[in-house]
Amino acid sequence: GAMRSRAEVDATLQTAKLNPAELLPAVHCLSFGPQASTGECYLLQLEPGLCAELEAGRSLVIRGEKDEQAVLCSKDKTYDMKIADTSNMLLFIPGCKTPEQLNADQASCDIIHSQIAGFSNNYWELRRCRPKLKKLRKLLMEDPYEGPDSQKDQTLTFSKYTTEDLLSLIQASEEEILHQLQVINACKIEGHWRILEFDYEMKLLNHVTQLIDSESWSLSKVPLHTCLEELGSLEPREMIEHILLSYGRRYIDDAGEVYFEMHEDKICRAIAQMLLQNAVKFNLSEFQEVWQQSVPEGMTARLDQLQGLALVDRTSRPETILLLKVEDLPEDNQERFNSLFSIRDKWTEVDITPYIQDLCAEKQTVGALLTKYARSSMQNGVKVYNSRRPIS
Amino acid sequence: EAGSLAHSRGDGGLAEWVLVELQGEVEARHSGGLAGSLLGDLHYTREGVPVLIVGHHILYGKVVQLEKPFAVLVKKAAGEPDPAGPHTHYTVTALIKTKLLFKTRPKPIITNVPKKV
Repeated sequence: GAMRSRAEVDATLQTAKLNPAELLPAVHCLSFGPQASTGECYLLQLEPGLCAELEAGRSLVIRGEKDEQAVLCSKDKTYDMKIADTSNMLLFIPGCKTPEQLNADQASCDIIHSQIAGFSNNYWELRRCRPKLKKLRKLLMEDPYEGPDSQKDQTLTFSKYTTEDLLSLIQASEEEILHQLQVINACKIEGHWRILEFDYEMKLLNHVTQLIDSESWSLSKVPLHTCLEELGSLEPREMIEHILLSYGRRYIDDAGEVYFEMHEDKICRAIAQMLLQNAVKFNLSEFQEVWQQSVPEGMTARLDQLQGLALVDRTSRPETILLLKVEDLPEDNQERFNSLFSIRDKWTEVDITPYIQDLCAEKQTVGALLTKYARSSMQNGVKVYNSRRPIS
Repeated sequence: EAGSLAHSRGDGGLAEWVLVELQGEVEARHSGGLAGSLLGDLHYTREGVPVLIVGHHILYGKVVQLEKPFAVLVKKAAGEPDPAGPHTHYTVTALIKTKLLFKTRPKPIITNVPKKV
């Protein structure tokens, strides 16, 4: 229709018995734009920080396969997306000025013809969530790297993933993905992210620890250069450097030489895993003896190094220990608790914490999780937790 | 359906739109649909109170600074070539930090006062 004139606006004001003297001179004549009803416009409610990110020119990405619930990712955070309904109608209007803006701009136009770009009675709500990273390990375990001497056909690439591949498949932000790759000791081989096959990883670690022993190096001053020289004929240089990075902290001394401070806890833990995976269960004291003998000279094997890796049973006679890796357990909260309670029906907080710590949302505590997913009782003067529901 | 929220404009930053929140539903007055049809006149009092005249109703509202701003996403039209593959793309077209909330019951504009006989 034709655009409204000042005369028409004034006539309406008169009919409405509004005093123009009490109003700002500018008026917005609102009409529906040509695309208003097509429903192609969506509202996304922004969590703190996201608005600033968009204004800084950074993008947001929606990720999720058909069978997954969509998440929204910024550069370093992941959010669940949910539709929120409102009983009201929300109209979105470009170029609509607020009273503040009209007052500030003395030359503001008398009539502003504003077109409503769209309307909606719902919007997307965001809630910060844990990045869904279990899939990352699953993908990389499809084809673990077994070393250059492996009989496997290295030219097959269908199970190998580049950074871009992972970004499109994993429901997490880029920073969260890159951080997790570091945590799981993944490395890039010919442009693809690979996880090392455990036996190969232990073989590499063993080369290094044996060299440290034969050279009588301090565990906190392992020289990169000499490692590459001495071990370069046995393994690819990138792999030697990778194992040093995985199990040590890289630094440069005053002379500019690269050294590694070996990580005692990580090394002892890996050796424990190697021992534990050979049987279902071990006699605890026997295991501790063998374990201490297996770790490098100067290192102390301690049970607290095995949190989230092994479970000790102090109620059995003799006391036992078994391999239980938190990364092998379900990612979903309820499924994780079901799984833990099917392994053991009563847990102390100390024992269960390493296996549920990763489930905590931002600002959520282990205690809060236990309150929600478990029931507590006293057993022999100790507080224990069991399932809220009967386990089949 | 993964999608990327690309930035629509780099120069001058994102546009800022305003949200108008009304009670009830928006319906077209005639069969032609909403496109092009008028909604009403939006005035502000000198104290900054928004006043919306819609048909025979006056609505008084208030300006609200949104605690959580909105981003307006526009779905990329189907049929456009998509180099990234079969994913839905949304473009962030604008940000909304302010809304005009009209919660009061509309006051009808009485145009005829019947005369007593």
